[in-house]
Amino acid sequence: MKKYIFIASLVLWQTAQIYSQQVSGGVFEIVNGENNPLVGANVVQLNSLNGTTTDVSGHFNLKLKNEFSKKLIASYVGYQNDTINLEEIGYEHVHITLNNLQNLDEVEVVSRKKGSHLSRSETRGITSINEGELQKAACCNLSESFENSASVDVSYSDAVTGSKQIQLLGLAGLYTQMLTENIPNLRGLAVPYRLGYVPGSWMHSIQVSKGTSSVINGYEAMAGQINIEYKKPDDGEKMFLNLYANHMGKIEGNLNARFELNDKWSTMIFAHAEEFGVKYDYNDDSFLDDPLIRQINLFNRWKYKGQDLRMQFGFKYLTENRQGGQMNYDPEKPNDTENGYGVGVETDRYEGFLKMGYILKNRANSSIGFQNQVVYHDVNSFYGLNDYDANQLSYYGNLMLQSYISDTRHQYTTGISFALDNYNQQLNDTTWVRNEQVSGAFFQYTYSNYKNLNLIAGVRLDYNNLYGWLFTPRLHAKYNINEHNILRLSFGRGFRTANVIAENTSILATSKRVLFTEELNIESSWNFGLTYTAYIDIGAKELSITTDYFHTRFNNQVIMDREEDPFIVYIYNLNGKSYSNSVQVEAQYEPINRFELKLAFRYNDVKTTIGGELKEKPFVSKYIGLLSASYQTNLKKWQFDLNVQVNGDQRLAYTGFNPEPYQRPERSPVYAILNTQITKYFKRWDVYIGGENLTNYRQDHPIIQANEPFGDYFDSSIVWGPISGIKVYAGVRFTIK
Amino acid sequence: MIFTVVLFFFAVFQLNAQEKETKVDTISIKTSAICNDCKERLEHDMAFEKGVKSVELDLDTKVLTITYKENKTTEEKLKTAVTKIGYDADEMVADQKAHDRLPACCQKGAEPH
Repeated sequence: MKKYIFIASLVLWQTAQIYSQQVSGGVFEIVNGENNPLVGANVVQLNSLNGTTTDVSGHFNLKLKNEFSKKLIASYVGYQNDTINLEEIGYEHVHITLNNLQNLDEVEVVSRKKGSHLSRSETRGITSINEGELQKAACCNLSESFENSASVDVSYSDAVTGSKQIQLLGLAGLYTQMLTENIPNLRGLAVPYRLGYVPGSWMHSIQVSKGTSSVINGYEAMAGQINIEYKKPDDGEKMFLNLYANHMGKIEGNLNARFELNDKWSTMIFAHAEEFGVKYDYNDDSFLDDPLIRQINLFNRWKYKGQDLRMQFGFKYLTENRQGGQMNYDPEKPNDTENGYGVGVETDRYEGFLKMGYILKNRANSSIGFQNQVVYHDVNSFYGLNDYDANQLSYYGNLMLQSYISDTRHQYTTGISFALDNYNQQLNDTTWVRNEQVSGAFFQYTYSNYKNLNLIAGVRLDYNNLYGWLFTPRLHAKYNINEHNILRLSFGRGFRTANVIAENTSILATSKRVLFTEELNIESSWNFGLTYTAYIDIGAKELSITTDYFHTRFNNQVIMDREEDPFIVYIYNLNGKSYSNSVQVEAQYEPINRFELKLAFRYNDVKTTIGGELKEKPFVSKYIGLLSASYQTNLKKWQFDLNVQVNGDQRLAYTGFNPEPYQRPERSPVYAILNTQITKYFKRWDVYIGGENLTNYRQDHPIIQANEPFGDYFDSSIVWGPISGIKVYAGVRFTIK
Repeated sequence: MIFTVVLFFFAVFQLNAQEKETKVDTISIKTSAICNDCKERLEHDMAFEKGVKSVELDLDTKVLTITYKENKTTEEKLKTAVTKIGYDADEMVADQKAHDRLPACCQKGAEPH
């Protein structure tokens, strides 16, 4: 008997020698804060051939062989490998998350958690999207979200409408493609006021990338791409409330709440209301410094998470009323010269989207995706005696297949897309109708050698019913020289149809007449970019220094030429050179625990041929400097943020042909803006107080001929600095997690 | 402006210097935390318990390490606070109501993710 027990235990012992331990767990990637299973990921015992792949739900089971170490290596194409020491974390429910390497652009992440700002850490590729740089301003909307971003500049378009525009690489925001959750959005008629259409506390994160981006989203991204992710119905806080007021009298409220109905369905509602109803004229030019605004913005989204099928859809409605112009202008009275100069913009915008994703069961790492969006935008406006009414109906559809060739080192995404833009515009007595349809097909190949090289090569071919065939090649590469040095390269082509009046309504707030001297062609450009990031260990902390250079060259560009004639803005196609060179250096470091510092400097060289002469592009700062400092006390109870931006001189649009009192200098002065905020965190509440433009810097006399707004030289568009001065604000946030 | 910037830096260094620890004790509590969400919740909520000087959860071991002022709170109180957030604290079982209010992913028996 003893003998049998001995043999039995010997057998057991031997078995144990070979298969000592069973491991189970899952491999995931984090997308927008949620775990997405990675299907077909490899899980192998370190230095062995003993391995398995994950199933449809990302799970795996593996019997460990005793002769090898108790470590697993998880790998998946396009993702960074991870080694897991099982002796440290156990053998059951081993949870592995892999970081995506596929986004090769230097993605700058401006992420906002709990509608505010916690700590932030530096960003490497798409990896840090969720833990990325957090916002430091109690931002009301998208326009304040870039305060701490060295790459994106925000400036006023004119001195009467309050419209703000972004710049990337010193190029107008028009050349940066805006996406909401990876669908092109906020285009055409939405452009002048679009930064006000996305409330700050609705956003989960923002991804900014410079240069041409992926061919998957269309041919538009010429200078860069900004993607906005809203908060998700199945992740994050259950309810959030934000109330904000500033000393000028602006009030704002935001509410969002999410509901998980069952395992599969979840929904979320967002509401935003803002009102600014106080007339101010601190610069005594008879014009309101800031327009009166009333906006209501509502959004309801749904998510379905099935075994293989994922679906999201949602509806958004926005209504906004803006009123600006002279202090004595009365909107109740007829809009004539007796009543004074008024500006009124009434906007209604409807959006609906439907996204579906289907995971292919019989082929690892393969899926089909289908994105749809319908937008209707209606605007009724007047700028003095200029009446501008327009509407836009747009549809965007994109059907994609993602899979791999031979093995998962070679992945591809291919698909077809269709976009429709239907514009009806009326400016005074002139009517334009434009119906643009773009059908396209694309193929994008992604290579990763798992070690140090990643490559994305994409092409797309589109047929535009107005401009014919358009071919868009794009290439991105990332090479890790070693652990501390990363090189990125991007090269590609982009196109864009200009909507001159819709996208430049500021020109209506002048006495100038717009004259199209020829049929406009589609804008097209090539962009080349090189980014080098070095991570240097200093003490326990890492200093990151990113240096980038981007060059954009236009083959065609729509030129708004206001340099020839004081009364006419000529619109024509580029005839000559037009380019932008942008060099930026950005350093980030945490010298003391929880004290984060960012220092950045950018030099812009942007020139365009205007009237046969290569000239510096107006309203582009020669250089930008940024200092951002943030300190969080132990246990995150207090947070202090400070931000200084230095704006170099800009060439102003030429005014030398005006009579002397109506001339402006050739260049703007150099100026700096200082913002700060203090936040106190309680268990469920946050209270914040802050100030924008603390040094109260203002541009003097922003409006030309403000005393005679119906005169020949009236112009509110020579704006290079802040119109309104210091703003002190305070607010509270309430969160239920 | 330069003054404000300098002031900010000065304040930060001051605040940093003030963080010198008084008479404190440290406790390690084994919890039923599952994911990063749990970590954030526990660290945030425990930070607002009286006497707590520092708090950190190690997700791998599920051990919550708290440094606290001896004269302000006790181990017992801190553990009770953990259960009221909805998690087990060593031998003490999570408050059922609080536990049921947690998101599905953070409730006991949920897959680690």
